[in-house]
Amino acid sequence: MREEVIPLSNFRVGVKAETWQEAVQAAGQVLLDCGSITQQYIDEMIQAVYDLGPYMVLMPGFALAHAEPSPAVLKDDMSLILLDKPVEFHSENDPVTIVLCVACVNRDSHREALIRVAAALMEDDIYDRLASAQTVEEAYTILHED
Amino acid sequence: MGDDLRIQAVCGFGCGSSLFLRIKIDKVLKENGLTARTFCGDVGTAASTPCDVIFCSEEIAERLESRATVPVVRIKNFRDEAEVKEKVLEFYSTLKD
Repeated sequence: MREEVIPLSNFRVGVKAETWQEAVQAAGQVLLDCGSITQQYIDEMIQAVYDLGPYMVLMPGFALAHAEPSPAVLKDDMSLILLDKPVEFHSENDPVTIVLCVACVNRDSHREALIRVAAALMEDDIYDRLASAQTVEEAYTILHED
Repeated sequence: MGDDLRIQAVCGFGCGSSLFLRIKIDKVLKENGLTARTFCGDVGTAASTPCDVIFCSEEIAERLESRATVPVVRIKNFRDEAEVKEKVLEFYSTLKD
């Protein structure tokens, strides 16, 4: 994956969160701070977990935070955060260390980039190394390597 | 069968986790020399979208099973290729009966 799919500035490591709500807020905050979403979208992501259960914890240690494309998404964007300490989402795949936040303006707009990220994250080797990355540069490099 | 078989990967909104699952299913199909048309769907409309089988997470399955008219296959760990492979092959084996 040579082409950049998540900019370096959208990675965080050592993020502090006590609860799954704080973890989703923290992942969304990255996109809020760079003007890609409004707080409304973060609230929608949290509400989605209340409504649909913790299905976003797709695999051990990993949560995909997202909500439906909505006016609260100003531009397609993704962030990836590594939590300082894992949190519980009340899922079989708990506890969660990595949260990927995806915001898209419509259902197809961010597909290609998300496919690339998804394929990387579902490789055991890449996932394991990413989960133990110590710096944002390290996390960025692992996600974008071939 | 073959290209006519339709596999729907379903999640809450049809554009996030279902995409992850679809990628894994596509990989398993390819590695096992199987072909099918795979696509994503959302939990609200999945049951009324024509397909031959639905793949989704546990939580989504609980919402779909009462409404779906096709088999609903639950995947616990989207990263676990062995689990996805086992369940895909298990579904294909039911087609031969």
